[in-house]
Formats: sequence, structure tokens, C-alpha cells
Amino acid sequence: MTAPLLSVRDLRTHFHTFSGVVKAVNGVSFDIGAGQVMGLVGESGGGKSVVGFSILGLIDPPGRIEGGQILLDGQDLVGAPEEALRRVRGRQISMVFQDPMTSLNPLHTVGRQMDEMLRLHTDLDAPARKAACIEMLESVGISRAAERLGAYPHQFSGGMRQRVVIAIALLAGPRLIIADEPTTALDVTIQSQILKLMRRQIADRGASMILITHDLAVVSEMADHITVLYCGKVVERGLTRDVIGAPAHPYTRGLIDSIPDPRHRQTRLSQIPGTVPDIRNLPVGCSFRERCPRAQALCAQADPPLTAQRASLHAACHFPLTEAEAP
Amino acid sequence: MTPMLDVRSLEQEFAIGGGLFDRLRFERGRVLAPRKIVHAVNGVSFTINRGEVLALVGESGCGKSTVAKTIARIYRPTSGEIRIDGKDVAILGHREMLPVRARMQMIFQDPFASLNPRQKVRDIVAEPLLEQTAGRAARAEVTDRTLALLARVGLNAEHAGRYPHQFSGGQRQRIGIARALSVNPALIIADEPVSALDVSIQAQILNLMMDLKDELGLAYLFISHDLSVVHHIADRVGVMYLGFMVENAPRDALFATPRHPYTRALLSAAPTIREKRDVAEIELSGEVPSALNLPSGCCFRTRCPFAWGRCTAERPTLQAVGDDHTVACHLIDEPERDRT
Amino acid sequence: MMSGFWTSEFFHNWRHNASAIAGSTLLVIFAVIVLAGPLLVAQDPYDVGSLNLLDSYKPPMWLDGGESAFPLGTDGQGRDVLASIFYGTRVSVLIGVSAMVLSCLIGTALGLLAGFYGGWLDSVIMRIADVQLSFPSMLIALFLMSAFGTGIDKVLIALTAVGWVVYARTVRGSTLSEVNKEYVQAARVAGLRDGKIIRRHILPNVLTPVIVVSTVQVGTFILIEASLSFLGVGVPITKPSLGLLIKNGFDVLFSGLWWNSVFPGLFIMALVFGINLVGDFLRDELNPRLK
Repeated sequence: MTAPLLSVRDLRTHFHTFSGVVKAVNGVSFDIGAGQVMGLVGESGGGKSVVGFSILGLIDPPGRIEGGQILLDGQDLVGAPEEALRRVRGRQISMVFQDPMTSLNPLHTVGRQMDEMLRLHTDLDAPARKAACIEMLESVGISRAAERLGAYPHQFSGGMRQRVVIAIALLAGPRLIIADEPTTALDVTIQSQILKLMRRQIADRGASMILITHDLAVVSEMADHITVLYCGKVVERGLTRDVIGAPAHPYTRGLIDSIPDPRHRQTRLSQIPGTVPDIRNLPVGCSFRERCPRAQALCAQADPPLTAQRASLHAACHFPLTEAEAP
Repeated sequence: MTPMLDVRSLEQEFAIGGGLFDRLRFERGRVLAPRKIVHAVNGVSFTINRGEVLALVGESGCGKSTVAKTIARIYRPTSGEIRIDGKDVAILGHREMLPVRARMQMIFQDPFASLNPRQKVRDIVAEPLLEQTAGRAARAEVTDRTLALLARVGLNAEHAGRYPHQFSGGQRQRIGIARALSVNPALIIADEPVSALDVSIQAQILNLMMDLKDELGLAYLFISHDLSVVHHIADRVGVMYLGFMVENAPRDALFATPRHPYTRALLSAAPTIREKRDVAEIELSGEVPSALNLPSGCCFRTRCPFAWGRCTAERPTLQAVGDDHTVACHLIDEPERDRT
Repeated sequence: MMSGFWTSEFFHNWRHNASAIAGSTLLVIFAVIVLAGPLLVAQDPYDVGSLNLLDSYKPPMWLDGGESAFPLGTDGQGRDVLASIFYGTRVSVLIGVSAMVLSCLIGTALGLLAGFYGGWLDSVIMRIADVQLSFPSMLIALFLMSAFGTGIDKVLIALTAVGWVVYARTVRGSTLSEVNKEYVQAARVAGLRDGKIIRRHILPNVLTPVIVVSTVQVGTFILIEASLSFLGVGVPITKPSLGLLIKNGFDVLFSGLWWNSVFPGLFIMALVFGINLVGDFLRDELNPRLK
């Protein structure tokens, strides 16, 4: 197997708040190969966004990367000087945020914001930069691109703004794009346009993507691999079809079952009982055991490590689901 | 039997552009204060029977939340009728509205904004009840009822003395449901009640709502943009676009044989972890037009892949296409233009 | 409840904020002066019978000719400057706090109405506020004082007329952001009347900025009152505030008798400085947008 593009090893990012240490990311590991799309799934408080920010070195106090490695082409980004990180951001790894309203600067034209990206990361001269911007805007489906370069973000609708954000993220030709809930703020018909656009752009450029989302349906349509986070830890990862088709971890299974199934309409949805525990005060043993239908005495004693299960699956569970128990 | 809720030709407009002084301007020697009008709801009609769940679906800006809040009389409708148990409540004043509020309550979208952060849970839950009884109810009675309601939605007595910020999103939504139930309503208007919640919590709340419906014989007006949730909970579905009702049908008919191009586009755009529904894919280009300037003719023609001259000239009205199934689309008259 | 306070984030941040501690310390000292001032000094400066002209213009005690009975010296009537300052502080603080309370009540009420109802009511209230803000507050106060005459009650009217605007604008802004929140809509659905919605739901949620504004306003009012008194249109000579003490001392400042005006000046500076330090801390702590 070829070396992965990005390899995250035992990443731990903690926030030191007044009311205690929030171990938002607490020992997360995964690999992404060139051209792969990985879905990073979890509910609020799972730590999925913090993973994205950690990779880009954008963790501010009271947060801190406490340990682990983030290897880009084998080079560790943890503890790398800010100067080196700045060269990585945008050129190697770029980011698409959830809210297109706030991720563009309302005071600058779209053209200027795009041009800035190229000025920082390429040696192109002004006319070449402008041409590149126009070409990029057209490729993300914005018509009359030359004219729209002079427009301000508020002159675009939500979906169009997200296209601009994607165009900026793609401009410097990054090899990895981190998309944090890129379509959550959008309507479903616009969401499907944007997802198609992202999938096509990523494939055309041979880039990789980490798609951070709470929406299992979106990842199942977009990603090759899925990594499921719960309370700052990876509880399951594997190929999308294995994770969705026959998950080994009861949490993943619970998430899938909570989505209403139009084919088999029951009066009651199966639900995960209880709520996500306070991350400052996790139970001893497995973090999920208090909500888990399969929990036994062992789960209260030892935190299960992430181990290889059947097929492509790795799961952190003492009593994983078998294939026969698939939904 | 008179329906629980009967809405007829409901219209809701909002004036925007600030106060009088902000709008004042001089034109050709005259003083003008022009208003911009948002046409949020443009003549929507539907009924909900006792114990029935009607879901209104559509994208942001389609007016579904405005319909909900107008029926709950948070807003006063511009025109139209809102009949609760046969009685039009559209223009009732505060005093006459009070008994109606005991029949109809509301659950809100945002579990963080819908509870007053400075009120204790017990006061939040008891508020509608105390308003109905005008403070005449014995304190002990109200306390008992509050605790019983909290227990029914899965919270316990010790939660009653806490403040909202001490609860998770799902628990807050339970508090909101207990508040709505406190006056024993027959109709609950639920405005996106689960869209702000995590998936695993969504299922809990939907189950709770369904249990309550069976137990108390509630009718729901359920506002949602999530088709899988709607498919699970609704008996009937109304599809809204730009303030118009474009299709209204029993759930199974709508999901199996959607007729309006917009409904079909919505169904094919929704991502799913299961196999795609058996619906011909319609991909929409562009985005929803502004409700400040409605398009002439059909509201959907600017994005519709089938639109032709008639759609610009003539606004389609809802017509029956099957059992209880109505659609507002000219394709019904000229099916040969449907190219899928 | 109290143990909750000592372990709270608020107290923790206060303990680690030097300027908050300094400001609070100053305010505690001034609270003691206001509450127990007369017990701390031997002389009652208002009691003319207790004054002895032979003690006039004594310098502070550490200078030649100073006496320990008059630690900060005396004025032309033989009044103890320290005693005058203690009594004057009471007058200044009384006026500052009363004006704050009055303008807070009026401004908050108008701000709530403007924000809640909007429309023409909002337009009218806020345009009056705009007009008022376009005049220097000293000018308005001076105008009112020269129209009504002097006296503590007149000073209060002038300060309230100047001060309500800040409250009205702050409260209107907060009200606008609360009034469309779903908990207010829920109160409507519950059947509450407007008055009850404003009282029970909106008011408690707009109070935080009011508290922040109030601390700063007390300081501002004390300074405006001092300026008015310095100009001779403030409090009557029989009940001198710190500002009037400065004015009285100013008349003899250039004869080398500096202590008559410098010490009241230092006290008023320390008082307002303390108020502003605490006000800044409260603003940072209570403003959710800065968190």
C-alpha cells in the first residue's frame, strides 16, 4: 500500500476551560490516501470540527494540541512553526466552512478575496491570476464570472456564496480539502447541487477530502471511507458500504437506525436512549456504555481499543455487532 | 364533523424597510414613504382533522414557518380564515383568543431560544396554564400538573427547579413539549421541532410526539424540511414553495406518485443512506426568487425544467388529481409536456 | 448559594484581574466614606458653630504649620478639608446614584417600549434621543439649570434629562434582539398580554447591559454634577459636593493654598476611576458577545 497523503496518529486536542479540561479530541487516528473522500461523522460534542481545525493548526487558547502526530506526506504538522503551517494552509490543505455568510469577508469583493489566495500561494502575475480566478468561478458554476469578480459577497445568494467559498478553497490547487458541514446551512435542492459540484471538482483534480458532517445520508452519498467519532474518540471506521451496511459498533448502528426508513415504516423509531455524557466528566470504561443496549460488566471496567473487525471495519467495542445482525 | 383546523386562503405580508423616518423620501416635489412588502404566504388553504398529522414541507423562505406562526396567532394574518373547531379566529382580539389558546399550542424549533433563560423550568411549563386559569388555580394543583407533565415527557421532579441552560438540547425540547401540553390542547403546531437536534435525539423526540398523539388524540401541524422525518410522522403532506401550496396529498400518495415538479425535485435531491426512491430525478438549477417580487404566473416557473409560455401567463390553481390529492401545475392539463 | 459564588467563574476571573481588584477596593473605601464618613472625622463642616476662624488655611499635616487634627489642612473658614471631602463625597455619590436610578427607570421603560412596539413609537422616541445626543450633555444640563435654578433636585432633573438616552438606546437594542426570539413568541402563544411579556420575559433578559451601563453612568453623572457645581449652577453652597469644593478651593489656588482644591480633585478622580475599572470588568464578564 502506498503511503497515505495524510496520517493522523493519536491526536489529542484539549481545551482548558474554567469548568474543567474538555478533551474534545482524545486519541484520534486515521489515514487518507490521495484522491479519497473520508467522512468524519459524529454528533455535536463528538469533536469532529476540532479534528479539522487541529489539522490546519488553527487551535487557539484555551485549546491546545496535547499530543499525537499529523503527518502530511510523512511530515509532522504538530509543533511545526507557524510560518510552515501558513505555507501548508491554502496551498496543501484548504478548508470550506459551514456558514458561507461568515467565511467570506463582507468588505472585500469576491475577486479580491480570490486574488489574495493566489498572491499568497503562487508566483502568477496579475493578469494570470485574474484569468485563473475567472476560470475557477466558471468551473464552480458561476456564470458571467469576469463580471462577478467585482461583486461583494452579499450580492450572492447562500448557494452561490458557498460556490465562491469552494472556488477559493480550490484555487491554489490543494491536495486535501477539509469541508466542515459544507451544506448544513443550505436547502436540500441547493445541497444536492453543491455536493455534486464538490464531488466532481475533487475527482477532476485528484484531491482528497475530509467531509465533516452530522448527516449520515450526506456522507454515505459522498465518501469512500467513514470515521465515526463519539466523545472525542474514533469508535468505528471503514469503507462506507461496510459502515452503513453492517456496522460493528452499537453507536453507529444506533445512528443509522434513528433515521426513519421509508421502506419499513414503524410507529416507533429505534432510538439511542439518554444523552451524550458531559465530556469533562466521562464515565469510566467505554464512553458509550450508559446508552448502549449491549453493555456488560466489562464495558464499565475497560475502555475498548480500536481493533480490526470483519471486512474493512475497525471498531472500539468489547461486544461488536456481527454481520448477521446487520440492519 | 368540523375539522380541527380549517385554513382558507391565508395570506401574510410583512412590510420591511424600517420605521417611517427611514423610509421618508422626496420624489418630484412630493413626500413619499414607500413600503417594501414581503409576500410570505399567498393564499394557502388546508384542513387538519382531529388526531391527524399534516406536515408542511418546503425550503427556507417557502412560508411554512410563517403559516405556523400565523395560525398560532403570533402574527395577525393579512387576510384569510383560520377556523379552529369551526370558529374563525383570524381576527380575534387578545381576550377572545385566550380560550382558543387552550385548544392550540405550539412547539418551537430552537431549543435554546424557545425557553426564557431567566425562568425556572417549573415556571416555563406552568405559564400557559396559569394564563388560562388567570391565577385562580390552586398553587398545589398547578405544581402537581407541572410535575406530572415533566414526568410524562421524561424529566423528573428535581429538574423543575433548574434553569434551561442546565439542560441538553433534547431535554429542552422536552420542556417545550411539556409547556405546550400544559393546557391540554387538541392541536399542536410544531415548527421544525427536531431540526436543531442531533440524529439520535431526533428519534427520541419524534417517538415522544407520536406516543403523545396516540395517548391524547392530538392533531399536529408539523413543519419540516426533512422528508424522511415527514414520511415517518405525517398522515398528509403539503408542499410549499414561495408562499404557495403546490401539492397536498396523503403521505403514501405523495411519496409514491409525486405530481408537482418541485415535489419530485425535493424527493430526488434528498440524500439518503438507503437506496434512492423510485422517482425520476429532476435536478433544479438556480435558487428561490425573492418574495419581494413574486414571478408572474407560476411561482416555480423560474426553476422548473418544464416551464412554458402558459406558466408565465397564468397562475396554476390547486386541482384534484386523485383521492384527496391536489396539485397546482399546468402539467396536469398538458401531461405530454412532462419529458421524464 | 454563597458557596456557588466563591467557586464561580465570575469570582475566579475577578480574583485574577488586578484592575478589577483595584477598582473594587477603591469602591469599598468610598462606600465606607459614604456610609460612615461623619463618624470618621471629628468636625461637622456644615455646623458653622464648630468652626474656628483661627484654624483657617492650615496646610496639610506633613507641611510646616500643619496639625494632625486637620490631616489635609483647612479652608478659609477653618473647615477641615478631609471632613469637607467626606461630606462632599456623600453629596456627590448621592446625586450620581439617584440620577442613575432615575434615568435608568425612564430610559429603560422608553427603550423597552420602542424596541417592543417599533413603528411610529420607536421612531419618535429614538429621534428625540438622536436630537438630544447631538447636543453636548453639559450644554443641555447648563441650559436646564439656568432655566430652573440651582438645587439638588434641579441637578437631578438635568442629569436625568441627559442620561436617559444611553439607557433607552441600550435597552432598545437588546429588546430588538430578544423580541423575535422564540421564547417571546411562546409567551404570546401562552396567551400573555404585552405588558406581562415585557415585564416577565424581556425585561429580565435586557438587564445585563443595563447593569454595565449603570456603573459607568454613575461616574459620568458625578463628573457632570462636579462640572455644573464648578460653574456655579450645581448644588447649593450649604451642601457642597466635591465639585463645589474644587471650585471653592480654586478661588485661592493661585495664592499657594493648593490643598483646598487639589484634594477634592484627587478624591473625585479616584472615585470615578474605581467606578470605571469595575464597570469595565463587569462589561467584559457580563457581555456574552465578548465571551
